[in-house]
Amino acid sequence: MEGLGDANARCLSTSFPQLWSQWQLLDSILPTGGFAHSFGLEAAMQARLVTTTDELKTYVIHVLENVGSLLLPFICATTMSPDAQTWHSLDRLLNAMLTNEVGRKASTAQGSALMRVAASVFSEIPCLKMMRGEALGSGDVYFHHAPVFGLVCGLLGFDPETTQKAYMFVTMRDIISAATRLNLLGPLGAAVLQHQVAPVAESLSTKWMNRGVDEACQTCPLLDTVQGCHSYLFSRLFCS
Amino acid sequence: MERGKLIVERVEGKSTLTRCFSKYPFKFIVPKKVAFSILFRLKIVSPFSNIVSFQHQVGSSQTDAVWIYTITYGGGIVSGDSIAFDVTVADGCNAVLTTQSSTKVYKSIESKCSEQVLEASIGQDALLVVIPDPVTCFSTARYSQTQNFKLVTDSSLLLVDWITSGRHERGEKWAFSHYKSTNRILLQPTQPLFLDTILLEQGSHGSIADRMNDYQAIAMIVLLGPKLKHIQNQIEEDVRKIMSQRPSISSSKPNFIASCSRFGPKGMGVVIRVASTTTEAIYNFLQHQLATMEELLGAPPYR
Repeated sequence: MEGLGDANARCLSTSFPQLWSQWQLLDSILPTGGFAHSFGLEAAMQARLVTTTDELKTYVIHVLENVGSLLLPFICATTMSPDAQTWHSLDRLLNAMLTNEVGRKASTAQGSALMRVAASVFSEIPCLKMMRGEALGSGDVYFHHAPVFGLVCGLLGFDPETTQKAYMFVTMRDIISAATRLNLLGPLGAAVLQHQVAPVAESLSTKWMNRGVDEACQTCPLLDTVQGCHSYLFSRLFCS
Repeated sequence: MERGKLIVERVEGKSTLTRCFSKYPFKFIVPKKVAFSILFRLKIVSPFSNIVSFQHQVGSSQTDAVWIYTITYGGGIVSGDSIAFDVTVADGCNAVLTTQSSTKVYKSIESKCSEQVLEASIGQDALLVVIPDPVTCFSTARYSQTQNFKLVTDSSLLLVDWITSGRHERGEKWAFSHYKSTNRILLQPTQPLFLDTILLEQGSHGSIADRMNDYQAIAMIVLLGPKLKHIQNQIEEDVRKIMSQRPSISSSKPNFIASCSRFGPKGMGVVIRVASTTTEAIYNFLQHQLATMEELLGAPPYR
């Protein structure tokens, strides 16, 4: 484990332009499969809990609050210690905390995809490929999304605050994108909504960031209940 | 501060409460009448019969459980109260922890928080059933609850944890200030199987009522272990049926939403989450789904 720590120190590249990597990581065109997930929105719509754009806006805010309270601690911890040991233990812990099967599988799918993409794209950080290979070999790493996101950002040299806000950003981006594909609003309306919600996302990020994982909690239990219904839907566009 | 204590061990082949210590503001009541209630229902005895001569005839050999009721003085938890106790269910034993009525949490005075802490240890081939009535927090109440369960590979646990929106008849709907409920299930020595904390706090981006969207009660049910396997499969099927029966062209929100998920290695555990517009509907659901526990426990978990 000490050897890996030294390897990390060699890994952190300080000369590579960070800004371009940051933009690439947050761009929806990065092939991480985020488009397949609706964060329970599809189930919420079918249950008639979200039918208007106002209700959508409320829904997005509730999801962001829940992501803030449950997942930001994991992002913070892995960004600050982007090493295999921290990653594995937080991954295991989060697996026990994602109690809704639909959400848990979605997290694993997205995390695996992100790790695979990051290992290929950011070749200046060879330990990404190494950690990925090791984790796949051991068979007991779930590749949950939040810890992987924090790990990748940490290895790229991003600070925890930026990383936590970035995670809130990609969550907001993905739900609103799902909403357009579910015909709840059009692309222009989606862009307007995203800008309207941004200050709320900022405020929720500030509220929930930099907490320990022992504080991680759900603040919107209805979301968990509704998302869990996703597998009962007769016809579905999304995986979750 | 000394904690309450409950120990259930096997004595002469039966689950027996061997230690029962409680202190203000709570106490334990351990009725010996569970066997009687079966006999009354079967109309085999009248209230005046001598139970001893009927024990062999009723086949109560299937029933082996100790029932413990947690009672608060004054019928509720007062601001600043702390209730803490440990429960040990030894190998091969069955124990039931329940309440006499819903746990009322009174308003907070000087922002004090009341709390309940349970530390439970379940042995091999043992079962702990935690089937309380729901928690009802009054307006401005602050309450925190922590339940830690340590299990070994073939322990069983049935856990119901639920809350209502408050005193509906007084118009109090999700009017409390702070509610936090933590449930942790660990497989000895340290493997976390299930960790869940729900935090409901009035926030700057919407009240608790907003987040609850007209639902007035929420519940979480966890089923884990060999003694609950038969119910796990049945509940999964039933929840799927309930939720799939909704016509897809319905234009209104369902009054009752439930979803069921597996958790843990090899999907050994099942967790059901429920949201309902009435507390009654959840009682009915629990009564129906857990009815088959009557044989082992001596009485149905909810009636």
